[in-house]
Amino acid sequence: MSAPASTATSAPAGGRRTALGIFFVILGWELAARALAGAYLLAGPTDVLTYLAANAGLMWRALKVTLTEAAAGFVIGNLAAIALAALALILPRAERAISGLALLVFCLPIVATGPILRVFFGPGLGPQITLAALAVYYTTLIPLLVGLRAAPATWFDLVRSYGRGPMAMLVHVRAMAALPYLFAGLQIAAPAAVLGAMVGEFTGAERGMGVLAIRAMRALDVEATWALASVATAVSILVYAAVRRIARMVLRDPPPLILAPPRHSAGRPRNGWHAALANAAAVGGLAVILWWGAFEAAGVSPFFGKRPGDVLAFLFTDPHAAMHRVTLGAALAETALYAVPGYLAGLALGAGLAAILVLRPALAGIAMPVAIALRSVPIVTTAPLVVLLLGRGAAGTVTLVAIMVFFPTFVACLHGMRQAPGQVLDVFDSYAAGPLDRLIHVQLPAMLPAFFAAARMAVPAAVLAVTVVEWLATGAGIGSLMALSASVSDYGMLWSALVLLALLSCAGYAAVAAAERRVLSVYASEQLA
Amino acid sequence: MAADTSPPELRCSGLAKTFPGGVEAVRPLDAVFEAGRTTALVGPSGCGKSTILRMIAGLEPPSGGEVTIGGAPPAEIRRRAGLAIAFQDASLLPWRTVRGNIRLALRLAHKPADADAVDRLIRLVGLEGFADTRPAALSGGMRQRAAIARCLVTGPELLLLDEPFGAVDELTRRQLAEDLPRIWQARGTTTLLVTHSVTEAILLSDRVLVFSPRPAALVADIAVDLPQPRSVAMTASADFLDLAQTVSGALARGIAEAPDTLAAQ
Amino acid sequence: MTRGFLTRRAALSAGAAGLGALAAGFLPGRAQAQTAVTLQLSWLHSVQFAGSYIARQNGWWQDLGLDVSLAPGGPNAPVEPPVVSGTALVGISAADYTAAAVAQGAPFRIIAVAMQKNPFVIASLPGNPVNAPADLPGKRLGMAIANTPVLSALCQLNGVDIDTIEIVPTQYSAAPLLAGEVDCLLCWETDLPVAMAMQGVESQTMLMADHGYALHSQTYIATEESLATRRGDLVALMAGEVRGWETYKADTDAAAALTVEMFPDAGLDLETQRLQAQRQVPLMFSDLTDRQGFGWWTDETVAENTETLALLGHDVTPDLWDRSILEEVHGG
Repeated sequence: MSAPASTATSAPAGGRRTALGIFFVILGWELAARALAGAYLLAGPTDVLTYLAANAGLMWRALKVTLTEAAAGFVIGNLAAIALAALALILPRAERAISGLALLVFCLPIVATGPILRVFFGPGLGPQITLAALAVYYTTLIPLLVGLRAAPATWFDLVRSYGRGPMAMLVHVRAMAALPYLFAGLQIAAPAAVLGAMVGEFTGAERGMGVLAIRAMRALDVEATWALASVATAVSILVYAAVRRIARMVLRDPPPLILAPPRHSAGRPRNGWHAALANAAAVGGLAVILWWGAFEAAGVSPFFGKRPGDVLAFLFTDPHAAMHRVTLGAALAETALYAVPGYLAGLALGAGLAAILVLRPALAGIAMPVAIALRSVPIVTTAPLVVLLLGRGAAGTVTLVAIMVFFPTFVACLHGMRQAPGQVLDVFDSYAAGPLDRLIHVQLPAMLPAFFAAARMAVPAAVLAVTVVEWLATGAGIGSLMALSASVSDYGMLWSALVLLALLSCAGYAAVAAAERRVLSVYASEQLA
Repeated sequence: MAADTSPPELRCSGLAKTFPGGVEAVRPLDAVFEAGRTTALVGPSGCGKSTILRMIAGLEPPSGGEVTIGGAPPAEIRRRAGLAIAFQDASLLPWRTVRGNIRLALRLAHKPADADAVDRLIRLVGLEGFADTRPAALSGGMRQRAAIARCLVTGPELLLLDEPFGAVDELTRRQLAEDLPRIWQARGTTTLLVTHSVTEAILLSDRVLVFSPRPAALVADIAVDLPQPRSVAMTASADFLDLAQTVSGALARGIAEAPDTLAAQ
Repeated sequence: MTRGFLTRRAALSAGAAGLGALAAGFLPGRAQAQTAVTLQLSWLHSVQFAGSYIARQNGWWQDLGLDVSLAPGGPNAPVEPPVVSGTALVGISAADYTAAAVAQGAPFRIIAVAMQKNPFVIASLPGNPVNAPADLPGKRLGMAIANTPVLSALCQLNGVDIDTIEIVPTQYSAAPLLAGEVDCLLCWETDLPVAMAMQGVESQTMLMADHGYALHSQTYIATEESLATRRGDLVALMAGEVRGWETYKADTDAAAALTVEMFPDAGLDLETQRLQAQRQVPLMFSDLTDRQGFGWWTDETVAENTETLALLGHDVTPDLWDRSILEEVHGG
């Protein structure tokens, strides 16, 4: 009864604090730009505005193109997610295979898929739209799979007791129960679609924000580069906010941000391992068959469209196979050196900042706008900028990976801590326990399910970040190797790198999921039931 | 284990709550709760009695009037860990065992971890053999009993119980109704019990306050002068039944006189 | 002509390359049936490909029965695969990239050479210039690691020990040179030095082609199959190219203006395009092309190229170059 009271009063004050926070961030940016003037590094807000005023038409036309691609990809990707979720519902036994295959496809590195898609689609908007769709479908599919089952069993029994079948359950129960989860996915998807479209433009496009971004970076046009990053960020934030607004209009409760509780496999931990392995093998086999079958059916040229057998030969039976493995291994090791610390730092920062905000809520005004902006900036525009600012060494790459990992973790953790049961906190209050006690004993443990859900989803995000940075900025590691292989027609190397990277991402994801199951069996046993 | 300080007197002066947005939950309430006595607050569900309890604990700021405990605001007693509260929802930490949850209360209250006392309480609430079980594996009633044990372990001066037996099965409930009051009476704890069960209210308390549907207004203040210690057998006595009739009558009167009875339901 | 161009573009942006060709077949009023072909460019639209724009703008391809679409490249754009798959009839590559693709099994021939001289330069500032490879030892050179074979070849050709040069991995940007982090940059004559000039910084460039680095760039490639079965289309395409580039040479400012006008959404700056257009001329035109026409090569230049390619790790034979299309273009 009393819950609405506190939130209702704090809303206007929160808005004022946010506005103040944004103001300070922009002021800091301007001052930094003034301090670094002449270094061809940083353009401040006034430079950006001047540039935008002078090139409004150009920017607006590019924005329209990119937004059109992003919107098309957003719609297609999300429809695909809904279709896949429906398929999983119709064929419950296939759910694991579907989500496994979906993860594998989501883990394909865009540095490699971009040129491949361009070859398949030829000139036009095909790759832009496809990459945007690929960037969004997984983050919608997973919450949706959870949401479609998120209704209590008694509701289904109720429908059944009236003699109605699965269709009525879908319409009256599942669809309604899934709606909040669908919106949670859509919100995350919005900025990702813009990023996908821009990367698609890098594969050979006539116009769009991505085209302008390449031109500006090459031409040392610092104002244009920062203006593009600013516009892309602003647009991503607006889309994010728009989806949120729609969600609030459609839903009565705010959408859940927890992406997915771990699989609802009932008990039998020993069988679980075997089942997981069997499932992985099934998914792998299915992927290989689909890959080979599609290429053969479409008659894709073996010059660049390598088949599973070609990749195996390249890695194991080719006379230079050992050398190929060494090259790939060295590149992967170099990448891991940046990706792993960046990933861990991002997780720590996300959880840490969420904890700080819980202890000191007043800081949210500054922290939230920065966090949303960092998440929404398309990494293709920031990667070169951050590397310019921080150097090509570890600092720049690790920072970018951390940024990509940080925001989803932060939002999920904050949400998770707010899930801490209010009455438990009341019990703590009744002993006049301090905020630190509340944090350690209640909020941090309550945060764990959300933290792990974010940590799982952050694995592909970290791989995306590190490969993009290596490709566009540092010229090191697997990202650069893939770009280089494509440019010198070494498609055996490109496909091998693509396969290895996707498999490693999936393995990382699975490892986090395994750790998650162990931890949550203690800390959120009711979620596993 | 016994309280170091003598049990305080609890005083509500014009205590009222209107939520932002204008929903009036509690009409101004003036009441004095004597030290060491047990008082039951009875009313229809959703009437606002839980809000009264939360305001007394200092968990909810009143919109009018004040609460004093031993002459000081509620924050004072909380600071010296002299207060304990149990909710209808057991509010146990799911990642701690029954014993772990009870010991956490001692830790939060800055009191020494007395393993024997913890085990005694676990036995008392009938959770022997479940000390190392996590809440998820317990029934609703068992969780509530664990929550009550957590309340008692710190030896509070003021005990606030909000429908603490809601999920407990009938048989256990009767047992607890006999056993628990002995603990807090022996310690002279000032106890407030929110319930919508007339029987429970009379059996456990020295006094029953009856409230009207929302906004909660005091309808009747009924003294329960049945002898102590009480037993479930007493519920069949004529005195008990008289009292039950008085309380039920007051409840019915409150509902009949409420301006928008149906809306309140 | 512009109208036809726009129609074609619109069809392309609808994402249906085949649709455009189909529509062209139904469009009334064409003097002759148009064969749709794609020319795959190696980078984003810019004056780098102005000869093609001139040919298209003037309808020279249409007169020859070709409806040519110009597919832009980009940092992640494949050039050779569309040619292999037949999506593009001709692609713009470079001798080293072509050699690499051939080694991977692509049946390519070089049918014309736009850049007689390789555009790679060592760019430096006048205060600390690099005028010859002998100046390189002791210098800090900013370059992409991927270009190490290029530097290595230059060093071998000029007897310079590559280990005496301090290689600093940089992005493809002039910023490190301007910031003093490096003494010189490995880049193209036509991009970073032009970008610096537009920022008001005059730089010194040492063209690697002047120091033995003979490597054809911006080469036109086609598959052996196309050479056998689509000679007419290839000849028509290259005839338009040759005419376009000869016109380009006559007035580079007009070519730059056309480029900017044709691609208003590409973010091109007219002054930059003009400067780039001028700097391109000495790389694309020589006494040889004056005598034989645009795109030409001799057995001698091919021999120099195979030598450089060998230093870069590519073993090729003179068969990689096929002059039959050019001979038809210039002969006919």
